[in-house]
Amino acid sequence: MEKLYVNEILPDGEVSTVGLFYSRAEAEKIVAMLRDIPERSACRYEIVHAVRHLLAEKGAPGAQTAPKE
Amino acid sequence: MADPVLAEMVHATGATESRHYAAVKPTIQAYRASWVKLAPYRDGPVNSQRVTVNDPAAMTAQIKAKAAELGANMVGVCRLQPHMIDLGSEVSHEFVIACCVAEDYEKVLQGPDAVEEEAMRTYAKCTEIATELAGYVRDMGYPAMAHHNGASEVQAIPIFYQVGFGELGRHGSLINETYGASFRPGFVTTDLPLIEDQPREFGVQDFCMNCNVCQRNCPGDAIPQDHVITHGIKRWLIDLEKCYPYSRLRDEYCHLCVDACPYIVKSYPETYKAFMKGRKQVGYKTPKTY
Repeated sequence: MEKLYVNEILPDGEVSTVGLFYSRAEAEKIVAMLRDIPERSACRYEIVHAVRHLLAEKGAPGAQTAPKE
Repeated sequence: MADPVLAEMVHATGATESRHYAAVKPTIQAYRASWVKLAPYRDGPVNSQRVTVNDPAAMTAQIKAKAAELGANMVGVCRLQPHMIDLGSEVSHEFVIACCVAEDYEKVLQGPDAVEEEAMRTYAKCTEIATELAGYVRDMGYPAMAHHNGASEVQAIPIFYQVGFGELGRHGSLINETYGASFRPGFVTTDLPLIEDQPREFGVQDFCMNCNVCQRNCPGDAIPQDHVITHGIKRWLIDLEKCYPYSRLRDEYCHLCVDACPYIVKSYPETYKAFMKGRKQVGYKTPKTY
């Protein structure tokens, strides 16, 4: 399964992880829903491949980043 | 199946239903039926004779006493914030009352079936409490809706954190210093004027940085070493693809990450010691009766 994080980027640049998602369609659906929330209108969102060392994988060498939204 | 990850994994096995949910004992079925039965009563008519609330602090104390009388072990209040509401749902109430019922940790020594039955018993009790409490508030002339396993539009963990029940642990559940992570939720959202509780931090997140007991006991290796940050709070995101083969695709209930969490040791020192001795004997990562 594909593993993707959705990150929320606040106006001050702080990055906050929304969650771990298992398909691009699911991640995009969440981003669309977040964008519809007026309180979050100033935030930006990115979908990135899960960083392997943040998953439960031993000896994972590092991150791969997908193209940003 | 509402969970797309589980649906994909179940369909990959050629089945149409999660093996764990399909293999349900009559007692478990009865508990599940109880919250389905109460779902239609989570909302209802509001008394047109509204009680005037001059002292929200006194009203908050009254609500907490009522919840305790109904069987809640902890009760807290906070303002309902957007991140506490399920995406795509709308709840217009101003406050949320959080209730929890603690599980009897002694059940861990009786095996996974007993642990599961206890979990379902506490979910059913939370459903009763939330339903009764919502009715109690409506009788005072304020709108109120119960949220529980039968039907809910709110997220348990952010609410539990905000009302000060505890902090988020490595295993993905909230940890309280008395109950560990062995408790279950029920909620009431309402416009009744109340006083908010505050988040409490007592070192859980720092402790989890150095403790790997849940990770060491997870048969699926689903609990990560490192964390992400969400609004300043550390979150260890559980890999469901690794968790579900043990927690959803087998008959047996898997609750090992919570059962092995050392935060329960102060309340159940002998039970925890006996349970962990058993875990050591099976090599930690082996499911209870694999």
